[in-house]
Amino acid sequence: MKKIDTISVIDDDPITVFGIKKMLDSLGICDTIITYPNGKLAIDGIRERLESHGSVPDVIFLDINMPIMDGWQFLEEFISLPVDKTVRINIVTSSIDPLDRQNWESYKSRTHHLIDFKNKPIRHKDIAEITRAA
Amino acid sequence: MLKDTQASLNNYLIKQLPKATAFFNTDFELVHVSDRWISDFEFGQRNILGQTIYELFDHLDQGMEESLEACLLGKGGELGPQLYVDKSGNERWFEWTNIPWYDDKENIIGVIIQTEEITRQKEDRSKLEKLELLLNDKSEIAKIGSWEYDAITGKLYWCPMTKRIHEVPEDYQPDMDEAIDFYLEGYSRNTISMAVYNAMEHRTPWSEKLQLTTYKGNEIWVIAAGKPLFKGGEFQGLIGTFQDITDHVRSEIKTRESEHLLRTMVDNLPLNVYIKDLESRKILVNRSECEYLGVEDASELIGKTDFDLYDREIAQVSREEDLSVLNSLNPILGKETLNVRKDGGVTTFLTSKIPLTGTDGKAYGLLGISMDISNLKQQESELRNLINVTSLQNKKLVNFAHIVSHNLRSHTANFSMLLDFLTSETDEDEKKKIIEMLTLASDNLLETLENLNEVVSISTNVGQEKVRVKLNDKIASVCKSLAPFLRNHKATIINEVSDDTHVKVVTAYLDSILMNFITNAVKYRHPDRPPVITLSAGKKEKYTVLSIADNGLGIDLEKHGEKLFGMYKTFHENAEARGIGLYITKNQVEAMEGKITTRSEVGKGTTFNIFFNEKN
Repeated sequence: MKKIDTISVIDDDPITVFGIKKMLDSLGICDTIITYPNGKLAIDGIRERLESHGSVPDVIFLDINMPIMDGWQFLEEFISLPVDKTVRINIVTSSIDPLDRQNWESYKSRTHHLIDFKNKPIRHKDIAEITRAA
Repeated sequence: MLKDTQASLNNYLIKQLPKATAFFNTDFELVHVSDRWISDFEFGQRNILGQTIYELFDHLDQGMEESLEACLLGKGGELGPQLYVDKSGNERWFEWTNIPWYDDKENIIGVIIQTEEITRQKEDRSKLEKLELLLNDKSEIAKIGSWEYDAITGKLYWCPMTKRIHEVPEDYQPDMDEAIDFYLEGYSRNTISMAVYNAMEHRTPWSEKLQLTTYKGNEIWVIAAGKPLFKGGEFQGLIGTFQDITDHVRSEIKTRESEHLLRTMVDNLPLNVYIKDLESRKILVNRSECEYLGVEDASELIGKTDFDLYDREIAQVSREEDLSVLNSLNPILGKETLNVRKDGGVTTFLTSKIPLTGTDGKAYGLLGISMDISNLKQQESELRNLINVTSLQNKKLVNFAHIVSHNLRSHTANFSMLLDFLTSETDEDEKKKIIEMLTLASDNLLETLENLNEVVSISTNVGQEKVRVKLNDKIASVCKSLAPFLRNHKATIINEVSDDTHVKVVTAYLDSILMNFITNAVKYRHPDRPPVITLSAGKKEKYTVLSIADNGLGIDLEKHGEKLFGMYKTFHENAEARGIGLYITKNQVEAMEGKITTRSEVGKGTTFNIFFNEKN
């Protein structure tokens, strides 16, 4: 499997973060996993990395319900960043609100990034599939 | 000679005849003529002897020639009036009498013509004829007959019209007793008998509206009038007129009946009906309108305007409507209007105003019809409220279902994932770590369940008994229980709420609300200054409004306004933020039929206005 430079996990739930990191570690395809506890810190961090290193994560795991800035607000700002490459964004949520699915459809159509929608929990067998660089 | 003398003597005699007379021989040549004849036909000094009658008159009737010829055969007679147009162009009428002229041996030797001017009589007669004609016409049209009673002969005369009114045969010969018997027994017959008696005894005329039964058995109405004739103090008889007014009386009765019907209908309609004149003065009102305006009798409203009856503003609107209808002649139909009576009673009407136009096409007033739809309006608004409440609750329920499912799912997902790890994990340290995580997940689940339970209890307790409490008592008790917390954070509370401010609340909710807002204000304080919290209260419509203002961090309402009171939404980097407090607070306020508004400025502070509904 192709090595991936950077993966970001954006979630306020430490258990989910712990789980995703553990599964990614076991795949051993990525050395740099950066986690953010909410959308605001994530967009600030990614913007800063883009300015200093000129790079953004290849894969993002994104929760929706987060304090301060939620997943949708993060996406709104992320898709406006000057990023040419296609980032794979996995929305990972326990929400079954149809409104969230509508939002997903709408963001998918507005960006060149690859956005996927996954309900929690993420299983071992899924993780390889959704961690492939887009 | 003798003959000549005789002739000239004859001539002289005839010349002096006082009547216009002319003698013509068998050839119709004039032989003798009286001066009167010459002057009547304006022959003047002309010698007309020897001229034929045809030479003397330009124009003679066809009948004249026949008559003259007939005279020669021994038949004479009156010709009837003949027209003669004189030299001045006047039409003059002459009665011609042509007779045969016999000599002493009974031989016809010519024609003697006598004429008599009857122009005057002719004119008089034609005037009379005209008058008679007119009288007949009049009597025919007006159905007025006449009658005459001659006291001397005891005979009663009815003109043809009087006979027709009585429906008797043309040759019917009435007498006074019979005539009176035609009248309907009772009032009519008594009245006419008295009238005739009084006329004879006291010389009084009469004119009465009476009923009688005709010869053919039809009941009719008549005006019988009469007066006595006296000559030298002696009663001569009676004359009078007799008019059939059945149609008139019937139409009068009919009109009265339809008026009565209309009035009954208008009065019993469950609608307010009125008619206004050009000055918007009421000229007719029905019973509903009287009842609505609380008067016993319509006369109390006649002549009054809306300004006398309603609130000034309402009256002005109504007057403008009236004017628009009267000027444009376009009716107002089924318009919803609000009426406020002088006594303050408010009624919603469905009002129609229809212009009433005279024969000249101009409005002389308007007809107003109003239906009281206050009850309907009330029901409609109650229904709308119910729909609003239902749809709001439904929305909340769906929202809550999503929250519940989301929160429970996120925990179960964690359990499931962690248990997955645990079964395949061999490293003991890692196992320990996973179990720690499981404990955390379990705690989180428990807390979530508690929170949800609290929310559910609020939602299911909608309509819980509210009690009136003094707001300051509650503020004081909350501040007291929060005292150590406030002291620790050097927080100041400024209470500007007046002592007489009361609110109707579920007390447990008020405690929780005050607790939440005050602790929030301290939790989200500005790092550069100690928190100052100001409480104040005021009235707004049916609400008592408690304002809680802080000098804390503030919040960007444009970004987060929607989520401010959402479940598990937090906006500040604060370890203590759980995102449940405001959600519960909002639910509690709404359960008491109140609402919350927010004003905030980032870096300066936030003001929450809590609206307490004063209704039960």
